[in-house]
Amino acid sequence: MPELGRAALAVCLGLAVYAVVAGGFAAATRRRRLARSAQNALLAAFIASLGAAAVLLGALLRKDFSFVYVADHTSLQLPKQYTVSAFWGGQEGSLLLWLVILTGFGAAAVALNRRVETAVLAWVVPVLGLVTTFFAFMLVVVSSPFDTQPAPADGAGLNPSLQNPYMMIHPPFLYLGFVGLTIPFAFAMGALLARRTDERWIVATRRWTLFAWTALGIGQLLGAHWAYVEVGWGGYYAWDPVENAALMPWLVATAFLHSVMIQEKRGMLKVWNMLLVVLAFCLALFGTFLTRSGVVSSIHSFTQSPLGPWFLGFICLVTICSLALVFSRLPLLRAKTRLESLVSREATFLYNNLLLVALCLTILWGVAFPILSDAVGRGQITVSAPYYNFFLRVFGLPLLLLMGIGPLVAWRRASLRSLGRSFAWPAGIALATGILLLALGAGSSWVGLVAYTFSAFVLGSIGYEFARGTRARRALAGGSWSSAFAELVARNRRRYGGYVVHAAIVLLAIGVTGSSAYDSVKTQKLKPGQTMAIGDYRLTYRALVKHEGANATEYRALLDVRRRGHFLETLASGKNSYRAEQQVSNEVGIRSDYLTGEDLFVITDQINRNGSVDFKVLVKPLVNLIWLSGVLFLGGSLIALWPSAAEQRRLTARYRELRAPARA
Amino acid sequence: MARSQSPARLVIALSVAAALAVFLLYVSVAGGTPSVQPSQLRSHHGDVALVGKVVGKATGDAHGDGLRFRLRDVSGSASVPIVYRGSVPDLFRTGREVRLEGRLQNGVFVAKPDSLRTKCPSKYTPAKRS
Repeated sequence: MPELGRAALAVCLGLAVYAVVAGGFAAATRRRRLARSAQNALLAAFIASLGAAAVLLGALLRKDFSFVYVADHTSLQLPKQYTVSAFWGGQEGSLLLWLVILTGFGAAAVALNRRVETAVLAWVVPVLGLVTTFFAFMLVVVSSPFDTQPAPADGAGLNPSLQNPYMMIHPPFLYLGFVGLTIPFAFAMGALLARRTDERWIVATRRWTLFAWTALGIGQLLGAHWAYVEVGWGGYYAWDPVENAALMPWLVATAFLHSVMIQEKRGMLKVWNMLLVVLAFCLALFGTFLTRSGVVSSIHSFTQSPLGPWFLGFICLVTICSLALVFSRLPLLRAKTRLESLVSREATFLYNNLLLVALCLTILWGVAFPILSDAVGRGQITVSAPYYNFFLRVFGLPLLLLMGIGPLVAWRRASLRSLGRSFAWPAGIALATGILLLALGAGSSWVGLVAYTFSAFVLGSIGYEFARGTRARRALAGGSWSSAFAELVARNRRRYGGYVVHAAIVLLAIGVTGSSAYDSVKTQKLKPGQTMAIGDYRLTYRALVKHEGANATEYRALLDVRRRGHFLETLASGKNSYRAEQQVSNEVGIRSDYLTGEDLFVITDQINRNGSVDFKVLVKPLVNLIWLSGVLFLGGSLIALWPSAAEQRRLTARYRELRAPARA
Repeated sequence: MARSQSPARLVIALSVAAALAVFLLYVSVAGGTPSVQPSQLRSHHGDVALVGKVVGKATGDAHGDGLRFRLRDVSGSASVPIVYRGSVPDLFRTGREVRLEGRLQNGVFVAKPDSLRTKCPSKYTPAKRS
């Protein structure tokens, strides 16, 4: 069986190389049939990589410990679902998953655009082939999942902290996002190589970008929730390099999603869009490099592996080649129109882009700082949370404000009178909210106060936009308010889906601000029967109970929770002591109030011999809005992603228009 | 076409300048924390992040008068005694790599409360067998 896996990977590598060479030659000499053959090679590479994945999955399910990978990441006792998730639990399997998704996306993107985009597609194929070649090469030569050994009696098992439902879903989402960014990159490079620098490559990949961006965002929120409920330190994001590695491409992709709209509408920012798509793809590669190379010390501490130099080399190659390509095509990328006014929709998009990229680059600087300071001989100097939090405020708060301003400002040039009209409501709401919050005592944190005032402004402006659109629609088509509203969204899914995503980001901002700027923490040693108070809550430590579970001894401290005299519930918080793995894990107790979004978070810090327990209790207001924002985010993205026949018709008409002068 | 007068360029230039100004301001005010190993500790006097491997048995109460243990270079023999108060991560154990923030006082590294972090011994990438 391992031979079959190795053979499948070798075939995949061969096909990828063929797609590069034959595809490149076909595109340069305009040979249709050869180009078609290179496309088919990409499809076949997908099937080959699927075959390799099937071999590995089969070995995992059979628990065939003669596969080094299987022995390293599973054990006889490991439940079936985690045996499957062990596929991406290790480096080789992760790379294989990457390859499968990459070839799958590549094949789908090629198949979907076959008829529309022949000239660009001819060049997309070799670019996709090149990326595929890199990953297939790594799997064949550097880090094979099909290494064998004399089978040991049992495997090493999976770390208890990875034996968690989130392990099944969080990594695949991140991979979907990382790999998905390859498609817009390949089409951008294809458009440059083919000298077709109009916005068609953007339109062809719009949904791919949106999909990758959604997957990356959802993947990160899942990871944050995993950390929050399982790791049990009371937070959800710690600015760890590995977490930042996923955040950076998401920020750049967010900038890209906005700036492509300017190119589509006004034919500007062509160079900028190219740079963004290159940056997003390089950051996705950098993320993999960071998590796999161990070059930056991270809580996730991945030990040194042979992948590092290869990845670094590939990132350098991609960066140099794509920048050189963009530079050589600069005359083709000249803007058709100019920015007419600093008060216009384009201008707000431009500011939003600059802020997002600035935020991303400061994070990148923070992540790379230990390496850079070491390189200049000052030793490894790390920057920590205060650095990142500072820049999140400096760039994040203006971004929040812009999210409210953007939709209210007209394209090209906004008149002061129309601005005044559309700003009146949202600004009034924001002002009222700010004053109300100040009266309620939210002034204890000025960041929180500003963030909430801005949030109210954004929600006001989104509400205003929906109301204005619905009224206009009803005036035009008649009918009821609800049908006018449904039709409004259906006719312009991208725009109104985008507004829903904006609302989700506001919820996220409210949740993050509430749980970080207005939270409270208290640590206290309690003997059975003693009570501690935090905020409105009173917690009485009743008893410590011990339970022998299947693979761990479970200790639980039981606490009666009261708020303003009312008994709420008995909360259990404690520790599990895993027998086989000789490892202790925190099992936190969380009481969520779904009406206010507030969490009471109880950590059993230390269980003492005399029966007393050191508790760490956190009250995190509004934290549940963060998880709610994920649902809304997904909903908004789906609205924007949903195919629209009307849009397709508009596009076809547009293409015909574009093609006509090109032939002349 | 007077491209040099494009407001877009002005905006970009001003933004870059503003970002740089903010950045320099921050770096000059705050700066980062040097990350050192026990053997390099003597040459640093301010706050540092100390990275190393836990050796010997940890004694004392982290929620009382402090948890005491020794930290050694990850690959080396120099070591330093540590005193620490606050939450102890689940994965803290002899032989593990940890990171603490604090400063050296009279030959003992006094860690800031709740600054202890362990590196996750996850099997994401097992150490390569040669």
